[in-house]
Amino acid sequence: MPLDETTSSATPVVEVKNLIKRFRRESGAVVNAIDDVTFEVAQGDFVVLLGPSGCGKTTLLRTIAGLETPDEGSIAIAGRTQFSSREGIEVPPERRDISMIFQSYALWPHMTAFKNVAYPLLSRRGRKVPKDEVARRVREALELVGVGELERQYPGQMSGGQQQRIALARALVNNDDLVLFDEPLSNVDAKVREQLRFELVSMQRKLGFSALFVTHDQTEAMELAHRIAVLDSGRIAQFGSPQEIYHRPATRYVAKFIGAINESLGTVSAVDGDTVVVDTGHGRVVGALVGQRVAVGDRVAAMWRPERGLLSREEPQAVNRWLGRVKAPMFVGSHTEYLLAVGDVDVRLWSPRSDLVDAGAAAWVSVAPEDVRVLPLDGDGRRADAERPSAAPAMVTAS
Amino acid sequence: MSGTGALLSDRPAGRHARLSRRLPGPFDAVTLLIAAVFIAIVVVPLGRVLTRLFWVDGGLTLEPIRKTLAIPDLGSLLLDTLILVLASSALAFVIGVGLAWLNERTNARMGLLTDALPLLPFLLPPVAGAVGWTMLLSPRAGLLNSWIRDGLAVFGIELREGPFDINSWYGLILVMAFYAVPFVFMNASAGLRNLDPALEEASRLSGAGTFRTLRTVTLPAVAPSLGAGLLLAVWFGVGMFSIPAIIGTPAGIDVISVRIVELLTFTFPAETDVAIGLSFFVVVFVGLAYWLQLRILRRGRHATVAGKGARAKTIDLGAWKWPARLLVLGYVVFSTILPIVALVLVSLNGFWTPDIAWSNLSFTALQRAVFDDATTLQALVNSLGLGLVGGLIGILGAAMIALYVARRRTLLAKGIDAAIKLPAAISNMVIAVGILLLLAGAPFFLSGTLLILLIGYLALYLPQASIAADAAVSGVGKELPEASAVSGARPFRTFSRIYLPLMMPGLVAGWALLFIRMVGDLTASAILAGTANPVVGFRILEVFTSGSFALLASLSTVLVLITGTVLVVVLAYTRRKSKLGVAARVGGV
Ligand SMILES: Nc1ncnc2c1ncn2[C@@H]1O[C@H](COP(=O)(O)OP(=O)(O)O)[C@@H](O)[C@H]1O
Ligand SMILES: [Mg+2]
Repeated sequence: MPLDETTSSATPVVEVKNLIKRFRRESGAVVNAIDDVTFEVAQGDFVVLLGPSGCGKTTLLRTIAGLETPDEGSIAIAGRTQFSSREGIEVPPERRDISMIFQSYALWPHMTAFKNVAYPLLSRRGRKVPKDEVARRVREALELVGVGELERQYPGQMSGGQQQRIALARALVNNDDLVLFDEPLSNVDAKVREQLRFELVSMQRKLGFSALFVTHDQTEAMELAHRIAVLDSGRIAQFGSPQEIYHRPATRYVAKFIGAINESLGTVSAVDGDTVVVDTGHGRVVGALVGQRVAVGDRVAAMWRPERGLLSREEPQAVNRWLGRVKAPMFVGSHTEYLLAVGDVDVRLWSPRSDLVDAGAAAWVSVAPEDVRVLPLDGDGRRADAERPSAAPAMVTAS
Repeated sequence: MSGTGALLSDRPAGRHARLSRRLPGPFDAVTLLIAAVFIAIVVVPLGRVLTRLFWVDGGLTLEPIRKTLAIPDLGSLLLDTLILVLASSALAFVIGVGLAWLNERTNARMGLLTDALPLLPFLLPPVAGAVGWTMLLSPRAGLLNSWIRDGLAVFGIELREGPFDINSWYGLILVMAFYAVPFVFMNASAGLRNLDPALEEASRLSGAGTFRTLRTVTLPAVAPSLGAGLLLAVWFGVGMFSIPAIIGTPAGIDVISVRIVELLTFTFPAETDVAIGLSFFVVVFVGLAYWLQLRILRRGRHATVAGKGARAKTIDLGAWKWPARLLVLGYVVFSTILPIVALVLVSLNGFWTPDIAWSNLSFTALQRAVFDDATTLQALVNSLGLGLVGGLIGILGAAMIALYVARRRTLLAKGIDAAIKLPAAISNMVIAVGILLLLAGAPFFLSGTLLILLIGYLALYLPQASIAADAAVSGVGKELPEASAVSGARPFRTFSRIYLPLMMPGLVAGWALLFIRMVGDLTASAILAGTANPVVGFRILEVFTSGSFALLASLSTVLVLITGTVLVVVLAYTRRKSKLGVAARVGGV
């Protein structure tokens, strides 16, 4: 396919098409670390690659940086092809004009903070930055990340959080359009992480670079992302805004990976447009389809978020209502979590009120049909179960 | 799926494209050129000699192999070699690891003193060391034996000779081990120094004591370094000829290396066929050691290197601190100081006798032997120049190749790596002879030049250079150079700004090793040097065969001074660097 578009604001910063990367394990088995991945990052977008450990996030990032050679597919940055298996193109990392922050920071231990940050300015081809401009821009970058006073320190003399900031300054000093992050916050403590996350968002919004950010932490993903790509064994399971991913999960895998969710397995007994009736072990559940098609008799999962459920002592006027027994109310500050045995499943429910029912009492659970997602079991269902063997027809929380 | 067909038809195109993409950049091209030259100076001479194994006088033959197998004492020759190499390497391993651990991890450390001391045998070229030990422990005239006899006489025990005899199995193994210890020690201490202290701390916190931690955590984690050290010790043992020649031969212990040298240089006409046939056994033996080391390396691949150049808290040995220190000092006195003292005494005394005339010691003999002798002086200058330049070329070239091999895991890269380390698997003598055959006469006419010596030294000591460079490269890790590439630096810049400074301590140490090997070389020097291009090794051999022990002692004393200075300066430098935090954070964490 010829790339005839010229660079404009409409050109995606990153364009990955049908990318495949295989690894040969020590045992000789071949794994597809990236398995036919296609996605785009638009100008100014903050895209998070989210998934459990080993799903191929780092590998995907490294192929985009040029540090790993894919087996098939193509990668374009700002409209220019960087890799194409078909055309036999592979641009080395130093000519891709991007920045990257490594999980280990990868600060050069024999250089001061100043020298580390100045390095990209002095290394890019075809451009000689005058000495005083280098100094000015390095100081600017260091000030921007709040460690101006560290410029003469060596990385070995800094805390993890400070090293992280230097790495950030080094990535930002060149004003590249694209910055790649590989779990940069996973090595600093919770307090620093939260602070850095907050600063990172405001910096990205202010400077306007596009970011591709790898993490396994869904909270981090939600906070940072304009859009999230949820990865499942080398494939993109869903690509969308945090709201979409959370409220309209495309697969059971995505639903279970992001946030807490209730799940009841059953068989479709009626379909009317997007509304589906499912027979489950604890009675009838009415829910909505998201994109997929199902037919009467299909095995499906009906899923809904704990904060969408309502709890009452009297039988409510609702389509979806089931009687259950309260196992344990748990007060966690902002809300109270009620765990109920409903038929053959455990149901979790969050309420701002902590005095609704006591342990051991019977209570009604209800949820609006539009808050219940009906998702087919086949295909990704196998993956989701393989991922979490204990997940069976019960509650799943990913945290 | 509709995409499947397109995907399948993609594949051949993709494969083809990858080939064209693999064209090397300028950095790789230069590296490949260097590798080609390095390999050629080993392989071409070797091929020249080896074709003679099957190809004599224009015809295919098995005659050399038949002749080799017909050596009457082949069995005992092989057995003696095996016993000597295994016993001395094992002893060196225990001593080297023990010293390294005491020095790096416990408070028995005495600063630069203990850092440098176990390396002291490097100061003394093996041939000089062997002579020094003979002067000490020869049954009758040995200085140490004579002093011990004097001591025993006080208690009324009168001995006419002994009590020790250097020309014995224990004498030979001991001296060989002393010379192998530095290989183990250098590698083991580098490994321990770079080890993440958190690994050991975690073990201690899990309730494991000092020695359990050492055994279950520390040693397995530094297994690659230990394996490299042991391999070097074995290589050294198999190729060593001056020590077994001087100490073993009088005791009737006959090893392959000595036999090869005899066949090539002391037999007329030279029995090249049999010498080459014997080299085959050396190839097999060293190949086996190499394979074993690879296995160890593969298992230990996940040993982590410390972040931030953190230094482990040293272990307090308590009451054992001074006994441990005395042990270290005792080892040094015994392994190095005593033979040096013997050499110095004999050189100052003017001749070898157990009755040193203490009041008549003077520098006259030394002065006359070394500085008034034009040939010896010229030999010294030549050796120093060759060591300096040869070491530099060797280590820089090896560094570029090591980088290439580490970055590209292609078949070509692996082949280059194996070829660079090839000389170690072949008797040095054979390569030296090949170089002589190939370059001395037409069309090169390099006989009697310094260039032929430079080529010879490079060819022989490439494996040492390569192993030192490998260690230096692996210490830098993957992400630091990757961060440089992503920052826009081209390969040459990444090499000069990231790899080189981070590898510098390792490369300087590697250079020092090459320098000392080249200055103290005997093998290539014996064959490639002459009166037109004398070097120290050649002079030592000349003096040794003429039987002048006093002269030999003088020459050795000067060598000790030179190598000692280089060693101390280099050690001080690498210590300072590693404290600055050059040990890099590597790997995922
Ligand atoms: N160099 C490699 N050799 C073999 N397998 C690899 C290599 N790098 C990654 N993998 C495999 O590829 C998969 C994806 O790895 P990675 O991208 O590091 O995952 P993540 O970053 O999401 O944790 C894993 O199964 C991993 O074992
Ligand atoms: Mg990762």
